[in-house]
Amino acid sequence: MGAIRNEIRRLRFEHGEMTQQELAEKIKVTRQTVNAIELGKYSPSLEAAFRISAVFGKPLESVFHYSKDS
Amino acid sequence: MSFREKSAWISMLSMSGIYGFYFWSVVHAGPQAGGFHFGGLLETIIALVVVQIVLTVAVAIFKPSEAKAPRDERDKLIELRAMRVAYAGLATSIALACFFGAFNPPILFNTNALLFILVTAEIMRSACQIVQYRRGA
Repeated sequence: MGAIRNEIRRLRFEHGEMTQQELAEKIKVTRQTVNAIELGKYSPSLEAAFRISAVFGKPLESVFHYSKDS
Repeated sequence: MSFREKSAWISMLSMSGIYGFYFWSVVHAGPQAGGFHFGGLLETIIALVVVQIVLTVAVAIFKPSEAKAPRDERDKLIELRAMRVAYAGLATSIALACFFGAFNPPILFNTNALLFILVTAEIMRSACQIVQYRRGA
């Protein structure tokens, strides 16, 4: 797991059970990339991270957290 | 499995199988047969192109939306990492080929050796892509 953790799964649930595919289409990446980001296997670019935050209408730090320990 | 990962599988398996058969026939033909069969190589390239096109189209038919979608940032990163590994393998192998070339091997041997190095680097690139897609990134 990477050092960047995220709340995407919870936020998708709170936004009407948004699917990974729907989020992927909104931020213009593949569903597999959304899945990899969600699982912490891939750290998105700053641009993609901002796009994800914009979709959920939250500030970046509410969606992504950096952990020094991992 | 994403369309890009399937493409990497198609590339790796088709190249391994088709070029594998070509090199196997070159080795079994022996040095008397000339070593480098231009006709055989041409058939190999045609077979590879046909197999890759047919399989890629077949995969694209099942998921046309994925096939049409441009590569995203993760696809590009995976491709760059795979290219870096393949380049390192290619550069090392070329250096070794230059070293062994100093011992004056037959020119036909050199040609096939260089082709083998190129094919191996390409297979290595596809394999690296597959490993990264399997691991997530």
